Amino acid sequence: MNKTEQFSRPGAPPQAALTAAQTGIESGRRALLQYLGAMALVFLPCVLLIDDAHWLNIIAVTYLMGGLAAAWNIIGGFAGQFSLGHGVFFGIGAYVCAKLYLVFGFSPWATMVPAALFAALVAVLISWPTFRLRGPFFAIATLAFNEVAFVIANHFDSITGGPRGLQIPFKAGFSNMIFRERWQYALLMFGFAALVIGVSVVLRRSRLGYYLLAVREDEDSARASGINVLAVKLKGMALSAALTSLGGTLFAMYLRYIDPPTLFTLQDVGVKFALLSLIGGIGTIGGPMLGAALIIPFENFLRAELANALPGLNLAILGLLMVLAALFMKRGVAGAWADLMRRFSRNAGSGR
Amino acid sequence: MSSALLSVREVSKQFLGLLAVDSISLSVRPREIVSIIGPNGAGKTTLFNLLTGQLAPSAGEVRLRGEQINALAPHARAQLGMGRTFQIAKPLIALTALENVMIGAFMRHPALSLARDKAMAVLEKVGLAGVARRRAGDLTLSERRRLEVARALATEPEIMLLDEVMAGLNQSEVGQAIELLQGLHAEGLTFLIIEHNLKVVRAFSERVVVLDRGRLIAEGTADQILSSPAVIKAYLGEGHQ
Repeated sequence: MNKTEQFSRPGAPPQAALTAAQTGIESGRRALLQYLGAMALVFLPCVLLIDDAHWLNIIAVTYLMGGLAAAWNIIGGFAGQFSLGHGVFFGIGAYVCAKLYLVFGFSPWATMVPAALFAALVAVLISWPTFRLRGPFFAIATLAFNEVAFVIANHFDSITGGPRGLQIPFKAGFSNMIFRERWQYALLMFGFAALVIGVSVVLRRSRLGYYLLAVREDEDSARASGINVLAVKLKGMALSAALTSLGGTLFAMYLRYIDPPTLFTLQDVGVKFALLSLIGGIGTIGGPMLGAALIIPFENFLRAELANALPGLNLAILGLLMVLAALFMKRGVAGAWADLMRRFSRNAGSGR
Repeated sequence: MSSALLSVREVSKQFLGLLAVDSISLSVRPREIVSIIGPNGAGKTTLFNLLTGQLAPSAGEVRLRGEQINALAPHARAQLGMGRTFQIAKPLIALTALENVMIGAFMRHPALSLARDKAMAVLEKVGLAGVARRRAGDLTLSERRRLEVARALATEPEIMLLDEVMAGLNQSEVGQAIELLQGLHAEGLTFLIIEHNLKVVRAFSERVVVLDRGRLIAEGTADQILSSPAVIKAYLGEGHQ
C-alpha cells in the first residue's frame, strides 16, 4: 500500500513526506513567514519614513480596515457566506470595551478578549437561524441584523449613550490603549492586521479551513464527505466575529468617540469589509489586506481633493471603480495576479 | 435480515401528490454488488437520497448494520461508512484534485499532512496522481467522475453508493472504470449502484433490482433480470415482444 515509495530517496525515511512540488501545498510555517514578512516589509519603511500625522492616520486606518476585511473574509470568502451584518460584531467590540473602560476603568487590553468571545456567542445565536438561508437571502437577513443593532444602540442610551454616543477622554498610557504618537496607533493596527492574516494562514491549512471551502463550493458534496455543514459555518462565523470584535475595540480606542452612525453605517462598516475583500480578492489570504491598501488611501485622497470641488464626486468615482473591478476582475486583484502566475508557470512548465 | 450491511424496509417517499418511492424493501449484504436499474423517473435517485439521508422517508425504515438510521444526517452516515457520488458530478471546482480528495480524507485523518498523504494514495489508486495539482474545474468529464469516486473513497467507506458514475464516458473509459470498481470490490468494498448502461450492469453486478414508478418490480441476477418480460415491458413498453 506504500505508494509513496517511488518518491523516496536513499537516506530519506521510508515514509518520506510529500513535497510541496508534488502536492502544491506549502508548509504552513513558510506561508506564515511569507505573508507576515511581506506585510512588515511594506509597513516598516512607511512608518519610519513618514512623519506626517495625516498619512500616519491613513496607514493606521488602512491596516485596521485590512484586518477587518480579512476577518470578514473567513466567513464571507473562505466559506462563501456573504454576511453584511459584521457591523454588529464590530459594534460589540467597540461598545463593550469603551463602556467598561469609562465606568470601571478596565484596560481595553483585558476586556477585548471577553468582548470578542461575547461577539462570537452573539454570532452563533444570530447565525443559527440565518444559515438556513442561502445566497442573497442570507445577505439580506444579516443586513437586517445590522439595522436592528443600530436601533438597539440608539435606544439603550444608559449603556451606549444613545445618539449622543460615548466620548473617551484623552488619557495617554499603554494600559488605556491611548497613545500620544500617531505611529503608535499605526503599529497597533499593523499588529491587529498581522494577527488576522496569521490566523487566516493557519486556518487555510487546517481541517476547518478546508471544510469552509468545501461548504462554499458545494454543500451536498461536503455532507457526503462527512462534513457537518451547519457546525462548520457556525465555527467560521464565530471566529470571524471574534476577530471583527477585536477590530471594533481598537477602532473605539483610536477614535475615542463612538456612536451608532459611526459603528453601523453600512457603506463604512458592514458592506465595506465585503467590498475591500471583493476588490482585493475574495477568498484569498492576502486579498482583503490588498484591497484595503488600494482603496483606503485612494478614498482619502479623493475625499481631500474632490469633496470641495463637487460634493459626492469622490463617492461616484469610487463607485465606478468598484463596478469596473466587479466586471473585469471577478476574483479581485489577488485572483487576477494568481491567474497570471498560473499561466506563467504553465508556460514555463510546457517549455521544458 | 440482520446480516445485511444496508437495508430498507417498506420505505416510501411522498412528494405532494407523487409517490416517488412506494414501499420498497431491499437489503445489501457485505461485499455484495447490487445494481438498481429502471426507466427515468422510476425513483432510483430518490431511493438513493433516502439511503444517504439527503431525504427523510415518509414511511418505513433505513438500517445500517441492523441499526435504524432514519433520523441520521448525511454527514453522520458518511462517518458511519457510507460513501456516495452524485449523478451530476459535484467537484469543488476552485480546489485542486488533491484538495478535493483531502476534503474526504480529513474525516478520518484530521491532521493536514496525514490527510494529504491519504489523498495522494487514493489519487494514485484511481489513476489521477498525474493531475493532483490541477484545478478540479479544469479536469475532463471522465477525470471528474474518477475524482468523485476518489473523494468518496478517501472517507474510507464500507459501502459505496454510486449514482450513474459511468454516464457520459466512452467505451474505453467505461472499461477502465469497471476495472477500478472491480479492484475496489476485491479489496472488500460493498457497492450499490444506479446504472443505465446494461453492459456495465451485466459485467459488474451480482444482483440487480428493477424499479418502475416507485415500485420494486423485479430482483435477480443480471441474466435473469435482463430477459424478464416484466422488465422488458417497463423499459420498452407494452406490445414489444
